[in-house]
Amino acid sequence: MGRFVALLKRPLTVAIAAILVLLAGGELLSPGFASPRQIVTLLTIAALLGVVAAGQNLVILGGREGIDLSVGGIVSFAAFLAGNIMRQSDANILQALAVVFGATFMIGTVTGLGVTLLRIPPLVMTLGMLGVVQGGLVLLTRGVPSGRAAPLLSRVVSDPVLFGLPGIVFIWIGVGIALTLVLRRTAFGFNVYAIGANEGAATLAGVPARRTRMLLFALSGFFSGLTGVLLLGYTEYVFVGAGDQYMLPSIIAVVIGGTSLAGGNGGYSGTMAGAIVLILLQSILTTLNIPPFGRQIIFGVTLLALMLLYGRQRRLRG
Amino acid sequence: MPALEKRPTRWSPQRRPFLMAVVVFLVLCAVNALLQPTFLRFGVAVSNVSAFLPMALVAVGQTYVVLASDIDLSAGAIVSLVNVAVVSIVDGMGGSAASIALGLATGVALGFLCGAFNGFCVAVLRFQPIVTTFATGIIFSGFALWILPEAGKQVPAAVYKAYAGAVVAVPTILWMLAAVIAFAAFLARTAFYQALRATGGNIQAAYQTGIPVARVRIGAYVISGAFASLAGLALVGETASGDPLIGGALTLSSVTAVVLGGTALSGCVGGVAGSILGAFILGMINNVIFFAQLPFEWQGLIQGVIILMALAGGVAMARGKAS
Amino acid sequence: MPVLEASGVRKQFGGVVALAGAQFALEAGEVHALIGSNGCGKSTLCKIIAGSVAADAGRLALDGRAVSFAGPREAAAAGIRVFYQDLSLIPQMSVAENIFLGREPRRRNGLVDRRALRTAATAALAEFREVLGAGIDADARVADLSADQTQIVEILKVLAAAPRIIIYDEATAALDRNQVDAVFARIRALKAEGRSIIFITHRMDEVFEIADRVTVMRNGMTVMTSATRQTTRDALVTAMVGEAHASRTTKARHAPSDETALEVENLASDKLLGVTFALRRGEILGLGGLHGQGQSDLLRALFGALPIRAGTVRIGQQPLVLKGPRAVMRRAVAYISGDRARHGVMAIRPIFENLVVSLLARERRVVVARRRLEAIILPIIERLKLKFASLDATVSELSGGNQQKVVIARWLATSPMVLLLDDPTKGIDIQTKQDLYATMDELCGHGVSILFHSSDDEELLAVADRVLVFNGGRIVAQLSGEQRTRFALYRAAYATGDSDAGA
Repeated sequence: MGRFVALLKRPLTVAIAAILVLLAGGELLSPGFASPRQIVTLLTIAALLGVVAAGQNLVILGGREGIDLSVGGIVSFAAFLAGNIMRQSDANILQALAVVFGATFMIGTVTGLGVTLLRIPPLVMTLGMLGVVQGGLVLLTRGVPSGRAAPLLSRVVSDPVLFGLPGIVFIWIGVGIALTLVLRRTAFGFNVYAIGANEGAATLAGVPARRTRMLLFALSGFFSGLTGVLLLGYTEYVFVGAGDQYMLPSIIAVVIGGTSLAGGNGGYSGTMAGAIVLILLQSILTTLNIPPFGRQIIFGVTLLALMLLYGRQRRLRG
Repeated sequence: MPALEKRPTRWSPQRRPFLMAVVVFLVLCAVNALLQPTFLRFGVAVSNVSAFLPMALVAVGQTYVVLASDIDLSAGAIVSLVNVAVVSIVDGMGGSAASIALGLATGVALGFLCGAFNGFCVAVLRFQPIVTTFATGIIFSGFALWILPEAGKQVPAAVYKAYAGAVVAVPTILWMLAAVIAFAAFLARTAFYQALRATGGNIQAAYQTGIPVARVRIGAYVISGAFASLAGLALVGETASGDPLIGGALTLSSVTAVVLGGTALSGCVGGVAGSILGAFILGMINNVIFFAQLPFEWQGLIQGVIILMALAGGVAMARGKAS
Repeated sequence: MPVLEASGVRKQFGGVVALAGAQFALEAGEVHALIGSNGCGKSTLCKIIAGSVAADAGRLALDGRAVSFAGPREAAAAGIRVFYQDLSLIPQMSVAENIFLGREPRRRNGLVDRRALRTAATAALAEFREVLGAGIDADARVADLSADQTQIVEILKVLAAAPRIIIYDEATAALDRNQVDAVFARIRALKAEGRSIIFITHRMDEVFEIADRVTVMRNGMTVMTSATRQTTRDALVTAMVGEAHASRTTKARHAPSDETALEVENLASDKLLGVTFALRRGEILGLGGLHGQGQSDLLRALFGALPIRAGTVRIGQQPLVLKGPRAVMRRAVAYISGDRARHGVMAIRPIFENLVVSLLARERRVVVARRRLEAIILPIIERLKLKFASLDATVSELSGGNQQKVVIARWLATSPMVLLLDDPTKGIDIQTKQDLYATMDELCGHGVSILFHSSDDEELLAVADRVLVFNGGRIVAQLSGEQRTRFALYRAAYATGDSDAGA
């Protein structure tokens, strides 16, 4: 019985329950909402958010107020870069991927250096980095969208591969499996949890805290880069601020998924569920033809309600 | 051996980021004065203060929340909400003196209410501050859109003329700034402020000491909401109209201003003076870039790099002594 | 009628029973010692009395009237104040601000009177001026103070509230003998004023020195209360352990060899002024003296956790580069701190992760093979008698002593040849201490060498083969054989000039 209650209280369980309730509710309110086609679309959009949130998840797990506000800017930057290198030609894909992943990994590394060597709080460092990336993007694009996805990329991302699901969903599942394995079955993963839980003790236990933390930010840059490429594949060409929409939702997805913002506790499976919950919620509000202000209010209230379920902090009184 | 009586630790490493902010501010002033010869004229200075005031107000309110080791990501939304609410009330009632009074009162009351709601969610319901105030911010801007779906409506000329005018030969703007500084100086000498810092420094210890930590945190959010509402009012005076999105950018820049001014996000350390300075620095950076006549495309990047460097410098200086 | 009476107090944390019907009565004007092994529930009982923990059941009465506190604020209003073992200070605030936190002197207009605050704090500090050491005044930041100074500030904070019931939860843990004397003098004065004191300690001497009565707790229950004069050390230990007399001193079986395991030459850092010594293979070399004279700094510097200015260190014949913990641990060196919360465990993580983290770092493997790791870990934790429900339970569910065992096991898994023990028994119950002594002895028998810093002088003298006495960052004496006496230790520790060193 106690075990059952504990299972019910697990964020992942709550998130999955929320998904089912939202799907059922959506179907009730607007028949066809939970149709297979609709679900595929939802999963595709959720995958984009989910991959950004993977990086966000890592940074948050590493603790010390870990958070990455630069993800949105990097997504836009990566999409721009990829589109301009590909220019609708399949031949340029590998080159584009190499440049994008290299560049975004580097941006993340610079953030990581600021956080570890200069000890700048992540919130501030990534906020500053966001300004730089956005400013750089304006300089490069002159505010005009440019570049287009290679056809192969668009096909891989959007076309059904298996069971009618598009490639992006499998890429997301692949990210999910890889990240979960890394976190649970590798020394790096153990180190991430260790520095998230108690950096001082972890360092004295021989954990390379600095290197690990730097890598977390670099990986967050990489995942934002991957999202930029996927976004480009999904929409074929990308406007300048396309990635901005991911900044705060990526954090929310992580928190809804049960990863503590204090670090050291949580995992990626919950975050995946969290991303789906967020997208479902937004989608229901859109299908219901509620005016934008109403959508916003309901969205905010629902977030608060989810916090009430399990996003609460420890009592001060034992 | 009797210990030497030291003066209060005015120049301790904790204060270094603030000093750094002072230096950056002075340098920016110098550069600005070089690029814009009229910079030091009284009128220009007042118009600069007037332009920076809304962000400074939000940053001041944000400071108290950050001192308690929380954060208010809804501040910008409160600014928007108050802005459109005031304009709509004044406009809806025909712009009479009574409507202006009611509008101002409602605006401030809304700020208090929003702040109290944030505080309640964070301190009583124990929600995580970042996510909570992000969510309440969405709600507040939803209400702002409800009241006024798009920018528009007008307030009577009397309002913005009074705002841009002078009282006893001193511009209204400067009176407001002086009032803010006086209020902050007063608050810094209260027991509440000590309790606020203690809560930010170590909430468990503060609780065990008997500090009413929940009340203190709510208080900080209410102050933040109140200052955001003042910023909303200032924007009414500045723009003479309403805009449901006007405060959006103020949230994150207020956090930047607070940190630039030397207040630690981890709480307890810092103060309002630095945040005002931080807000002015952010405004001055824009000025300098504008008057340097840089190509438009470069502005964002340069601004980003300067802010990042200033942040990095301030934080690095604070850690200078720590091993 | 007792001033304070608790009866039938129960408290459960998750699945762990902390209190199973504890009784306690405090008379007016008495010093009442509360002792028991770690996890026996004494801290929990005190926190319930102080309102910072809510009891599941039970009755609390003040002056015979039932009370129920909603929080520490209400308890404080009723005149109860606690010296918290984990301290309740704000590191970034000044000593004065901390001492008077929540009760700042006010001016007539209601604002905080900063000058009065400093004056009052300076006056409070003056009482302990003799034993406080340098670098502390009303304006100093608490974060910049040493551990003993911080503890005294917490003591002053408690006193500033002029409570009628004071609970000292391990208030002397980081204090040296002089400081303890000063605190005891104050406690006697408080007693004379009719105030009542609950005194929790792990040092038996202190019980007999200061307490009028003593209550022993075991497994969440009160097992005995007696006037201190009518009981003996052995009787108390027996009550605590719950079985036949557990001897405190260990009979060392190991014998150090003449071979040098670790050689330190002229090591200098912020706190160390040219430290030179040699640790022999299979030896327990004690580091003693007053608090904060460089013992901990030496151990942390040797582990690469504190920067050094000069000096050479050799293991065997090879120089050891103190680049960082990772570089040092590769040479089979391990560091174990008594400050478990900060330097030991990752409390919110599972026991398994806590156990293998160093081994993973040492082996530099990529993949975690759980079964292989368990095969290494399980025999070690069995030997250390670690009590745990499951390897996947979080460390925070363990008692302090068992948490320390996790840290020890973590390092034993890396098969270290040199152990750096930095006050590892701080705040640990007798049984766990005994287990640790036995383990140390056994390890030395296998050729492991141990540098052992302890703030408990008796333990230090009993366990170490030799003792290096520190004073002001230097080694001022070396005690071995028959010289290992309290007298010799104190004489060297309290010596002021270099020439006056004992030995």
